[in-house]
Amino acid sequence: MNTLAIYQKEAWYDLISVWRTPGFVLPALAFPLVFYLFFGVLFSPSGSTSHAVYMLVTYSCFGIMGPAMFNFAMSIASDRAQGWLTLKRLSPMPVSAYLLAKMATSLVFALFIILLLFSAAAIFGEVRLYHSQWLGLALLLLLGTVPFALIGLLLGLTLSDKAAPGVVNLLYLPMAFLSGLWLPVTMLPQFLQQLAWLWPSYHLSQLGLKLLALDQGQPLLLHLTILLVTSTVLTLLCLLVFRRYTGAKS
Amino acid sequence: MKPQTEAVLRVCSLDKAFAGKRVLNNIDLSLTAGEVLCILGPNGAGKTTLISAILGLIAADAGEIHLLGQLQQGAERSVALRQQLGVMLQIGSLPATLTVAEQCDLFASYYPAGYRAPELVALAGLEDHAKQRFGRLSGGQKQRLLFALALAGKPRLLFLDEPTLGMDVEARRNLWQQIHQLQQQGVSIVLTTHYLEEAEQLADRIMVLHQGKFIADGSPGELKALTRYKLVQCCSALSDAALLALPGVLQLNRQQDGVTMHSSHAEQTVRALLSQDPGVSQLEVRQVALEQAFLQLTGDAAAAQAGADNQEQVA
Repeated sequence: MNTLAIYQKEAWYDLISVWRTPGFVLPALAFPLVFYLFFGVLFSPSGSTSHAVYMLVTYSCFGIMGPAMFNFAMSIASDRAQGWLTLKRLSPMPVSAYLLAKMATSLVFALFIILLLFSAAAIFGEVRLYHSQWLGLALLLLLGTVPFALIGLLLGLTLSDKAAPGVVNLLYLPMAFLSGLWLPVTMLPQFLQQLAWLWPSYHLSQLGLKLLALDQGQPLLLHLTILLVTSTVLTLLCLLVFRRYTGAKS
Repeated sequence: MKPQTEAVLRVCSLDKAFAGKRVLNNIDLSLTAGEVLCILGPNGAGKTTLISAILGLIAADAGEIHLLGQLQQGAERSVALRQQLGVMLQIGSLPATLTVAEQCDLFASYYPAGYRAPELVALAGLEDHAKQRFGRLSGGQKQRLLFALALAGKPRLLFLDEPTLGMDVEARRNLWQQIHQLQQQGVSIVLTTHYLEEAEQLADRIMVLHQGKFIADGSPGELKALTRYKLVQCCSALSDAALLALPGVLQLNRQQDGVTMHSSHAEQTVRALLSQDPGVSQLEVRQVALEQAFLQLTGDAAAAQAGADNQEQVA
């Protein structure tokens, strides 16, 4: 029971310390919402609801990626730089409590973003879906935070606290664009379309669109396999880096 | 089964090099239960590296480390062991947006048998600031919080790396008081510092670390005897022979911009100097840093001189 208390407190305090950082909360919640309202609802090319549905999926993906990558990368890089992580490692706290706390924070933010965008879609975009589709999409998006949390973890373990925010942005924004999260992937130049499969965010969005029969028509197994392989490789890399970090840090 | 004499910490032949440079050189040390050991040395002597190697933050190249009777393998430290250790490191910041009470609550949860959160706030003496965020505390308050967090598990063995760095005089004396209390409760403490006064106040035993090697080991009284020498520095028209003949002068070094004399009776030396050479200028009297006093004793005069040239003034 005592160990459980550590996990709970760790998660709770990670969440509130992030929540008290307006520089993190506001962009994390406002950008996806505003972008969706702008490009998904207001500037709908044909005024069709299918555009609003399509963009709901892609901007939700865009939304959940951000907090996962940023919270992991920036707070771990900063905890390392400030010595806070060292102090925790010397305490009896299990490292998993620290990492799961960050994961929980990412999921809470993902949930907020999903609720915000789904509400906006239903109210302003007149998007109507089956309950099973809303629910399936929400679950997929929550599960979909994992590979991006792992990217953030890897960056947080390798980058300095000064470099982390810039590098995450440098990865996050182009990756979102190249995966067709801002504009439908079909509107990208041909050669970029052909490279879209490189990005995990492309496959996550295609899975979401598949739920609504709006995807590019590639096999389900392709998307799942690539996301799974990406996550596995990232996990192994993180373990490797973490072992080096705890083993022989100067 | 000899709890009284069992070493709570034992380090044998510890070596560590970074990029070919030897930072720890054949270090041996041992700490008995209830003892307060001060590791004294200037910045860069290897104090933090030594603590880091003992705690498993870095892997030593060679040597053995026994913590609370257990031989440690590599850089792993078991949870059971970590529950009995307390550590205060030189760290930049805790998460700036959490309050004092929240940090204490979090750290108290790590140690089921330790202090409760309100007790930790009281130990830090921050009851009036319990709802204040870490980022808004003063430097001294931050140090007090970190000290209290080190005690969260009611540790048997406590490591304090430069605990009073950045504290004002009053805060420093308060912390010394608390360390004395812990000592009376039988907590074993390893404390690093570059303040001789701090080591004298707190330690049962002082070990002087210089360039990765222990150059002295003794009680504060024994070591204090070695620092009665002072450095008298000046620009004088007198010859070396005349200066050496001044009362108390033991040794003389001439530099470009003046001479430095080691004196056993600095006041008499200065009085005689002023009467023989009224034109003396840039007169300065300084305490000899402890490690330099030792280097002179061990005959390592060249190193002592190199050290004296960039020695910091001791208050």
